[in-house]
Amino acid sequence: MDERRRRFETMALPHLDAAYSLACWLSRSQTDAEDIVQEAMLRAFRAFDGFRGGDVKPWLLAIVRNCWRNAGADVRRRAQTALLDDGDASLASDEPDPEASAMRTSESRRLDEAIALLPEEFREALLLREMEDMSYREIATITGVPIGTVMSRLARARAMLRETWMARNLA
Amino acid sequence: MNCSEMLRTQAFLDGELDDTAAKQAERHIENCKACRAFSASIADLSDMLRKQIPHHRAPDALRRRVGKLLDEAEEAADPTPFRRRNFWMGALSGSGGTALAAGLALFLILPPSAATLAQSVTDAHVRALMNGKTIQVVSSNHHTVKPWFAGRVALSPPVADFQQQGFVLAGGRIDKVAGTQAAVVVYRHGKHEIDLFVWPAGKGALPGENTTQGYHAMFWRGGDLNFAAVSDTDWTELRKFSGLVRAEPE
Ligand SMILES: [Zn+2]
Repeated sequence: MDERRRRFETMALPHLDAAYSLACWLSRSQTDAEDIVQEAMLRAFRAFDGFRGGDVKPWLLAIVRNCWRNAGADVRRRAQTALLDDGDASLASDEPDPEASAMRTSESRRLDEAIALLPEEFREALLLREMEDMSYREIATITGVPIGTVMSRLARARAMLRETWMARNLA
Repeated sequence: MNCSEMLRTQAFLDGELDDTAAKQAERHIENCKACRAFSASIADLSDMLRKQIPHHRAPDALRRRVGKLLDEAEEAADPTPFRRRNFWMGALSGSGGTALAAGLALFLILPPSAATLAQSVTDAHVRALMNGKTIQVVSSNHHTVKPWFAGRVALSPPVADFQQQGFVLAGGRIDKVAGTQAAVVVYRHGKHEIDLFVWPAGKGALPGENTTQGYHAMFWRGGDLNFAAVSDTDWTELRKFSGLVRAEPE
């Protein structure tokens, strides 16, 4: 293995889960997510020489997001309506109590649905913040908007999610 | 319910503010009802998301396919497996034995008040160690840990890093001391863990220095807050740690 590949393996590959997770959330489909991630990893590897240090994760996630933006119209249309397919496997929990586990799973699913209803730009800001612990600056870099926009999107996303969640739980 | 400072409050909760701005935001939250409610709702939502939402793990097949793609792109093979170590799994397994032993001997007959406090703090410390749940927010950055408490408990504990002195900030959790909600700031000192309990001061007396089932605890009052530092490290170190915390400005 050459030096460049080794560097890529140690620096970028540990973020494969994060890349896949983001792709799942954007595309709402594990099948589409796999395609997006393959494409993104290949592009990242080819562009790796151009990577000028800093944190690899936001750089890689930005590539994942671009691959998603460039995905075919059909893929993108699917995401508007679909709930995450095959959610059960990924929801497997380490909860020893099956009843608690089932309850948690159904709550997870409802939360998942509520997130799916968020407009894409709000959804991605929120997920990058809460699931990937990205800073405002990193989210701004990944999504290509000013930090002020990230802040207001996050606030809107949180307010909307909270509203949807409350409305569904009361219904 | 709205406040023009909400974006700043949000930035504080997200750990985005520097020390000066964070202090201002904190003071504002204390005095602004809207921002207090907002903090609590963000904390709720964040806890729920982090607990409920699955973090999708890349399927092995995908991992393999990516590896193959890279092989093709590079025309070489033999990928090096990478590993990520969960530091706390290792760190906690060492103290697990003592914690378990102590946990079995928890029921000593003690007089109430100060002794109850001493027992309660040690119990909470040991329980957390035994469950492996000493930390709810894992971070060595006080910009992350301090705001984490803001939406979850009605007091703001001092959170500082004493890395230079060998006490490394590890995170925080919410716990209880004798039935009262307490913020716990967790530090690492060598192999030892130190829990710093902080809760609103009442009228009762504090125990001062105390050893229960091999765990040392130091109590003191600062302003309208009670403090207890608990650990299985030795007295010299625990006193040193307490001294550092007490020297921190509020
Ligand atoms: Zn306010």
